[in-house]
Amino acid sequence: MASRTSGVPLAYRLAVTSRILAAALGGYAVAALSSIFIAWTLPMARPEAVVSSMMLAFVVYLVAVLWCFSCRSAWRAWAGLLLPGLVLAIADGVLYWVNQP
Amino acid sequence: MKEGLRQSMAWLHTWAGLVFGWLLFAIWLTGTLAYFQDEINHWAHPEVPVRALDARASLASAQTFMQAQAADSQRWFISLPDHRNPEMGVMYQVPGKTGRGSFSRNLVDPQSGAKQETRESRGGEFFYRFHFELQMGYPWGRWLASAAAFVMFFTLVSGIITHKKIFKEFFTFRPGKAQRSWLDGHNAIGVLILPFHLLISYSSLVIFMSMIMPASILTSYHGKVTDFYADVFPSAAVASAAATPAPMLPLTQLYDTAVQKLPGAGFSRVGVEHAGNSNATVEFTPDDSGSIAYRAADGLVLSAVTGEVLSRPQDTPVPIIIGAGFYGLHMAHFAGPVLRWLYFLGGIGGTVLIGTGLVMWLNKRQLKHAKAGVMPFELRLVEVLNLASMAGLLWAIPSFLLTNRLLPMAMEGRSDWEVRMFFIAWGLSLLHALCRRGKRAWVEQLLVAAGLMGALPFVSALTTDHGLWQSIGSGDWAIAGVDLTAFAGALFLGWTVRKLLKKKAAAPSRKAATRESVPVLESEASR
Amino acid sequence: MMPAVLLSYVGFTALCLAMEKHHGELLRRKPSPLHKRGLAVAGWLLLALSLALAVQQAGWAFGLVNWTAGLMGSAVLLVWLLPYQPRLALGIAGASLLIAPLTVFGVV
Repeated sequence: MASRTSGVPLAYRLAVTSRILAAALGGYAVAALSSIFIAWTLPMARPEAVVSSMMLAFVVYLVAVLWCFSCRSAWRAWAGLLLPGLVLAIADGVLYWVNQP
Repeated sequence: MKEGLRQSMAWLHTWAGLVFGWLLFAIWLTGTLAYFQDEINHWAHPEVPVRALDARASLASAQTFMQAQAADSQRWFISLPDHRNPEMGVMYQVPGKTGRGSFSRNLVDPQSGAKQETRESRGGEFFYRFHFELQMGYPWGRWLASAAAFVMFFTLVSGIITHKKIFKEFFTFRPGKAQRSWLDGHNAIGVLILPFHLLISYSSLVIFMSMIMPASILTSYHGKVTDFYADVFPSAAVASAAATPAPMLPLTQLYDTAVQKLPGAGFSRVGVEHAGNSNATVEFTPDDSGSIAYRAADGLVLSAVTGEVLSRPQDTPVPIIIGAGFYGLHMAHFAGPVLRWLYFLGGIGGTVLIGTGLVMWLNKRQLKHAKAGVMPFELRLVEVLNLASMAGLLWAIPSFLLTNRLLPMAMEGRSDWEVRMFFIAWGLSLLHALCRRGKRAWVEQLLVAAGLMGALPFVSALTTDHGLWQSIGSGDWAIAGVDLTAFAGALFLGWTVRKLLKKKAAAPSRKAATRESVPVLESEASR
Repeated sequence: MMPAVLLSYVGFTALCLAMEKHHGELLRRKPSPLHKRGLAVAGWLLLALSLALAVQQAGWAFGLVNWTAGLMGSAVLLVWLLPYQPRLALGIAGASLLIAPLTVFGVV
């Protein structure tokens, strides 16, 4: 792990920053989207489903963060979040329409 | 991050641990102290006499106080004295005000109903609030603390993934081997009390989950957040105030009813809503000793006018019990003395886990620059932040407590000054860290910290009637405990300084040893 | 809580001795495969027994909390003693094994 900052290439820095943003922001978004999905699909009463969904969301966030730093490139980090994110967003949209009051 | 899972997790663990470690050290240490916040509160208000507990009489006194002080207030909450803290707290909403900051907090004598004369001080409650609000405005402090908690969570998990020999080296601790010992110690604390570290980190997220992960509340409840709270906390759903004034039954009478309806339960808190109206309610919250799950808003609610039962503690659904369980396990209200000390030691362990990580981060990189003699700016920054965040906090905490003892009792703004001294001391440590370098800076700061902590029992004895002699003599182990623990801390720091100085004398041979000794973390992960 | 904690300590000691490296350091001999297997099985059984005792005494909620606390506490004590006072570490294990049944029946 190079500690001499002058020797670290810009591309590397950008890649790290990209992963951090993916993990922090993208990870949160995926966690939130999954909590919405979980709350609407768990077969239990509404308050219980919501409470469970929030507790599980942190585990999703954890996995997302670990993914962003373990995958082979910053691009993959984003892809690994955007793909499930998109699927969840669509599913959430459908569930929202189904659950209209 | 192209190198494999263990390497990438080591990278994440190292950098997240560094950037958030300074803040997390402070959160963990103040949170650890918060396990004894009731005792520290009692220590900080030594004038409050310890009396036999009588909930019924205490409630009568609280009602006397309210009638004299704020008879118009519609919402008031009484925290009853218990064996850990003899204070009775009465807080009421000032008539005409709403929202945050609208409550007046008071200590009331449970025997007479008069305002408790005692020095103004936040005591242990300061450490409790600081560890999740960080002395920042609402809600920023909580957000930052929650972010730090999440970083702790994934830093722990990345540490587990990266620790290749987690089972093989489960029982391994090799002292006396410089960097290897630091890593062994860090790993040992991390692995052997891993359930505790994971529990505290994850549960802190659960505690704030409605604030930090509200998406599913908003969607499932179509934006009506109050409906969610009404569902999860049924007894807190009070009807809106009716227009007709009606007198309240005496609290003692309502207490008798409550005891009859919930036999065997002690009550920790009594809350009055819509006092003076026909819809007035009184909620009796059972104390937390009987249950792991923390269900603060699941008490017995009676009509304050008629005494009939409006809501009882209900069978809670499993997922909500799980959430409340995490909350309760974090707060440890249920813990008796032995478990409470174990929680405290676990918290010290977590704090040391972070501290050893920070020290190792710097040590490893300093070795590379040892020959050059000049430290690059980034490492100097880490060196300063390490010292100021760790030893600095060890200046701040005893300074806060010493100030409680040294300021005049009747001084205006006394409690604010105690808090100010906490930060002034911390700031002084930062100044010192900027001016001094290396091991001698640590020795100097730890000596000052030891001096401050060691002085506490003496200053207590000189400035109050509750020095160690009296507190132990009267069996007041809360007050004695704070003084004794501070002194024990001083002894520990003194011993640490001795070890540091011994090592200093042996420095040349140590440097040679470390160059050959097994390198840390990332290289370990690659074996 | 006492018997559960004592048995946790013994269980961890057994699991520690089941490892060749620690067995060699503590008992100054190489463990045979049978020894290793036997100690490991004994260790896990003792931990399980300690869980059973904890739950039996305080119910599932408090029992699990007490058991986990006891596990962590006894593990820390053992690992801390091993490099500094290995004989004391083993001695405590032996004593715990003897005392534990007595604490269960309320004799001690």
